[in-house]
Amino acid sequence: MTGRGGAKKSRAAGTASPTTTLVLDNGADTIKAGFVSDDKSDDKPRIIPNCLSRDRHRKIYVGSELEKCKDFSELAFRRPVEKGFIVNWEAQKEIWDREFFDDKAAQKCDPSETRLILTEQPNSLPSLQTHCDQIVFEEYGFASYYRGLGPVFNAYRDIQSIFRTPQSTIDSPAQVILLIDSGYSHTTVTPILQGRPLHPAIRRLDVGGKLMTNYLTRLLSVRHFDMRNELYIVNEMKEAVCYTSLDFKGDLEKTWKGTRGEKREDYLSGAGIAKDYVLPDSHTRFHGVVRDYEPGVSARARKGIISTEDVLTLRNERFVVPELLFNPSDIGIRQPGIADLVKQSLLAVPIGLWSGLLANIVVVGGNSLSEGFCQRLQTEILKRFPDECRVRVARPEDPIISTWLGAANFAKHEHASRLEVTKQEYEEHGAAWVARKFAAGLGLDP
Amino acid sequence: MNNFGVIEVASQKTKNAPGWAYVPDTGLTPAAAAALQPLNRKRAARDKANVGAPDLTARQDAKIRKDLEALDKDSHRDAQIPIPPKAGGTRAQNKHTPNVRKILQSQKTFANHLDDYQAFLALAESNPQLAAQVNKPTPTSTTTATTTARKSPAPSTITTATIEETITPDSSEPFPLPRPDTPTSLEPSTTATPPPTTTEQPKLQSYPPDGTILPAYNRPPPTPHPGDDDPLLVSRVPPFPTDEELRALITAPPLSYLEARAQWTEEEEGRYPARRFCEVCGYWGRVKCIKCGARVCALECLEAHREECLVRYGL
Repeated sequence: MTGRGGAKKSRAAGTASPTTTLVLDNGADTIKAGFVSDDKSDDKPRIIPNCLSRDRHRKIYVGSELEKCKDFSELAFRRPVEKGFIVNWEAQKEIWDREFFDDKAAQKCDPSETRLILTEQPNSLPSLQTHCDQIVFEEYGFASYYRGLGPVFNAYRDIQSIFRTPQSTIDSPAQVILLIDSGYSHTTVTPILQGRPLHPAIRRLDVGGKLMTNYLTRLLSVRHFDMRNELYIVNEMKEAVCYTSLDFKGDLEKTWKGTRGEKREDYLSGAGIAKDYVLPDSHTRFHGVVRDYEPGVSARARKGIISTEDVLTLRNERFVVPELLFNPSDIGIRQPGIADLVKQSLLAVPIGLWSGLLANIVVVGGNSLSEGFCQRLQTEILKRFPDECRVRVARPEDPIISTWLGAANFAKHEHASRLEVTKQEYEEHGAAWVARKFAAGLGLDP
Repeated sequence: MNNFGVIEVASQKTKNAPGWAYVPDTGLTPAAAAALQPLNRKRAARDKANVGAPDLTARQDAKIRKDLEALDKDSHRDAQIPIPPKAGGTRAQNKHTPNVRKILQSQKTFANHLDDYQAFLALAESNPQLAAQVNKPTPTSTTTATTTARKSPAPSTITTATIEETITPDSSEPFPLPRPDTPTSLEPSTTATPPPTTTEQPKLQSYPPDGTILPAYNRPPPTPHPGDDDPLLVSRVPPFPTDEELRALITAPPLSYLEARAQWTEEEEGRYPARRFCEVCGYWGRVKCIKCGARVCALECLEAHREECLVRYGL
């Protein structure tokens, strides 16, 4: 009877607001979780895989138990979050229970004395939002709760230090930023004014890390080995070797083998693009290793010299995959790329805001870690806007946990106390009222 | 008909005929697939008018769609991973509230939820009162909404255009629909798009003007320069939105899931031809296979492709 017990306690405690806050950035791939309180706060969240995974010996790992897994071959996943939204609460509850609420949980907390700040993706479905609110209050009985858009929390970080602008005062929340969040499920562009999202201008591109990993898997399966059941390994490979090309045509030319009979020099030498990737063999090596391309290796392998390792030579796979973010039409997705996404988003706001937004573009999310991403994005955006607009694209040092860090700052900000909903209020006014309050957000008052 | 007393009983066992078999289609429903990748009729029509070899045949289009569906999956094979039993089993006998029990037992996928929502929007459009009624009891009881709305023709094929025509629900709505934004919030973008060429702007005004939403720039101005008054060097600053515009923008309700999905506009769609790549090695696809229309780069890859080039029905 967790829910009822929590209710009684909070009623007994009166209106005293809880001192600790559990900040949860509940992503499709990983949960970023940590506590914030007045005296002691985590400076970094714990990163928990948000999935149930099953290895080839049919052993099941829930959430962070995946750390214990050594052999990642044929790992299968079940994810509670679909398209960025929590859909399967059965699985999500199991993971949350084990991580936060069980007796032996790593980050144990008592919901009835804790405030929850949970991130969600923009443009969610009302029914999913209601489900989430109901679970938070009726199942766990958190003392108070706020569910806010993930991208918006980034406004509570010290944005100007990310841009390395010398500044005496820190605006919190930042006045104007254009936030690009490229995560596991999709990529969103959110203009934010004083910590308030401009809803009519939020745009989404349905290309994310998952699609890119799957695409790399397909390329490898056509050209090398069947890797279709090795998503974990391919994902590791993607993170290790993929980069965003600044000169796509040139790089593609360099990696072409040439016509029949003629082997191009760039192809034979690798041209600095080709890399060897040594696959894990599940006996001695459990993670793949990137090596510089050795022209002789594949030839030796062909001659039948026994080699104990499986080596993949990656050429255009390295940059074709992140290219999907910029040109989704390459695989037939009828959507504009990320730079046009920015343009479409800006067309929905008054032109007077353009210069401010373009000069403060912040990129977060795991995909932004690919080398050259920011530079490519900046050049592509520059092409699409008038010369007078100054375009600055910056990535925080820690793009994956950036939203969490922002949310942690938000938890200390007075906005948090304005926006949160207590359990008592939920019981009085109901789920619909809560959803309305969260949707209204900060409103216009400063 | 006399069967000599023999009654044929349908057997539970299915037989695999050699070569083919009926299989349950567990993939995405066509409706969900259409939501992910709406078919562009206009382009199809334009391509047809183009005499020079239509690039995407229906078969290729279907193949792309199928490929994209596969890329959208979480895993190659549908993994059914049950929740492992807890060692202690302490929480097992917890009682849930009815709402929570319903949510936990729900096996709906995101596509289901999206369909429900689209159906609800369609219902709200055609019959606002009924929609409000259906929605009254509890905000989560979408099941009733779906059963009634499933009868409406193809709920998920609603395009953004039709959603925009939805009547904005009245304030008695039990929970705020992310309704299409009122035209007032979009007006500034459409009216203000021509680049501001007028230079007659009050120069003394601070930029942005002091407002309640965005305060004026309050740091010392840059040091003056003799060239500041030079008409050639004057920088043109677009008019800053008024507070009313900003207010409308900030208070505008969120778009719905499908509205927020970025799409090509009419004129942008065909501006650049799609890039085609060799299906074998990934270089530019300069050669087309005669049989199936797949692109390859040169003879070597064409030969590799021919080995497995099949024109299968339904591919």
